[in-house]
Amino acid sequence: MKTQKIGAWIAVLFGASYFIIPLIATFEFSLRMRRGEYSFDAYRSVFADVQFRESFSYSIVMAILTIVFGVLLVVPTAYWVRLRLPQMRPFVEFITLMPLVIPAIVIVFGYLRLYNSSSFIPFTGSARGTDLLLMFSFMTLSLPYMYRSVDTAMRTIDVATLTEAAQSLGASWPTIMFKCIFPNVMSGVLSGAFITFAIVIGEFTMPSLLNRPAFGPYLQLIGANRAYEPPALAIIAFAITWASMALLQLVSRFSKSAPSKP
Amino acid sequence: MSFLELSGIQKSFGPVQVVHDFDMTIEKGEFVSFLGPSGCGKTTVLRMIAGFETPSGGTIRINGKNQESLKPNQRNIGMVFQAYALFPNMTVHDNVAFGLKIAGMNKAAVDARVKEMLGLIHLGHLADRFPYQMSGGQQQRVALARALAPKPQVLLLDEPLSALDAKIRVSLREEIRMIQQQLGITTVFVTHDQEEALSISDRIVVMNSGRADQIGTPFDIYNKPATRFVASFVGTLNLIEATVVDPASNRISIGDQAITLREPLGPVKAGDTVSLALRPEAGSIAESAKGDTALTGQVVSSNFLGSVIRTRMKVGDPVISFDMFNAPGLSPPAVGDVVTLRFTASDLLIIRE
Repeated sequence: MKTQKIGAWIAVLFGASYFIIPLIATFEFSLRMRRGEYSFDAYRSVFADVQFRESFSYSIVMAILTIVFGVLLVVPTAYWVRLRLPQMRPFVEFITLMPLVIPAIVIVFGYLRLYNSSSFIPFTGSARGTDLLLMFSFMTLSLPYMYRSVDTAMRTIDVATLTEAAQSLGASWPTIMFKCIFPNVMSGVLSGAFITFAIVIGEFTMPSLLNRPAFGPYLQLIGANRAYEPPALAIIAFAITWASMALLQLVSRFSKSAPSKP
Repeated sequence: MSFLELSGIQKSFGPVQVVHDFDMTIEKGEFVSFLGPSGCGKTTVLRMIAGFETPSGGTIRINGKNQESLKPNQRNIGMVFQAYALFPNMTVHDNVAFGLKIAGMNKAAVDARVKEMLGLIHLGHLADRFPYQMSGGQQQRVALARALAPKPQVLLLDEPLSALDAKIRVSLREEIRMIQQQLGITTVFVTHDQEEALSISDRIVVMNSGRADQIGTPFDIYNKPATRFVASFVGTLNLIEATVVDPASNRISIGDQAITLREPLGPVKAGDTVSLALRPEAGSIAESAKGDTALTGQVVSSNFLGSVIRTRMKVGDPVISFDMFNAPGLSPPAVGDVVTLRFTASDLLIIRE
């Protein structure tokens, strides 16, 4: 029994070391900017860079907009499919899975062909139009995760009966949506929102090919031209992702203790 | 003019017609139960009254107003569901206040009405609890208070007791009836439990395959079933096939024993078969078969059911059940005993449909 336990621990440590050692090495390298001693100079350099602040702020704003519009698209869709069109569920699930099977580069080339400045809908004809297109592209990329999170949360409540109960009490559709449905699928909405946040912050292909100043292309640019800043940025990106994951855990713990069934 | 009128209501789902020409009128303050087996259309009729289903034909009028063009949220109908349907994100207070806030009442009026409603269901002390912190019975009482709070013109109860355990069901159904009488609210109650329907209704609609087989008081439904279905569905009943001996004198035979019925046999001839109904509690064991209204048979089983002992005896081909009230000195018949069951001629009902 004891040998089995030791064996299991060795396997866990071996697996963990596969991820941890490169991370430690990256972190260690990011501290070597000053000769002969460890320092946070690389991080200072990154945070002092105006381009970092601009690209990071841009990506955060894009992430927030993507989350807001994504939630406004996904929650009513998932609600309506559950309430009125259950036969359409496999089809909608298939559609939401498409971004996982079609590479981002294929999608963005499609966008450029459809929405270029000389097309019928010239999104790329202006910076704001391109921002809008980029936000839609982020919504597309996060769709599989957002839809599943919301749909799973919706499964824990009796959507049809709650809707009818609210209707019999005189509630209109917006009241039902925002007072009865949204609060009860909030854990799913937040889960989807954090995953969307992580996707938008790290996405390279879409903003790069649409030529927008997002964090992903900045990461790539720094990585190609500097020595110590790229590992510092990698650690910062990891920290952001981990923070998102930690929030996700908190949300899922919160949802376990919150009322979910009528 | 009746308060709630259902005229020629029909409902089809695709090619399947689930409600056929349903007619009914309900008076203000009346408590009417729709009773029937699963799939008989009782919930569909209720949902059409609420506006959740659109009738394929017919009209629904409440207080003289046609409801056809009104959406569910415009009908002012309170509804209680089998699954409670309390909003999980809201406290008991907020659940009860939901309809009142939508109606545009000010905070003081809302709080006063919520307090009144929670007082009515004796749950004022649980106002700050969430639904998941309450038992099923408590949740259903809150659902009742929530439905009643906006003073609906009609209250619809869709099998509200089905998810509760036996003791809570009995106490809550009595509470529902008491509150209904106190408020004088017109109520439609859907159930498949005959005991529930018989115990709290002013009238019962027994539904079968989308049709109202019989509409009547609980007493009439139980004692004068209009159809074979009503007779077999409501209460325990012996359905006995008998042979007509002499139509003129209403004489029939069960097995090889002749009996004279009080009810006229109608247009039948000697040798025809008629269906008769006899409640198990109608007869009693007698020493001998004096008079015409007695049947003698051999006991095939005897089951102790607590307050009664149900005995089955074979009279020729038919097997007839009868009940004896339990008493400390009672000696129930044993299997194989030959016993005589006596009853009055009017206890035997002719089932014509």
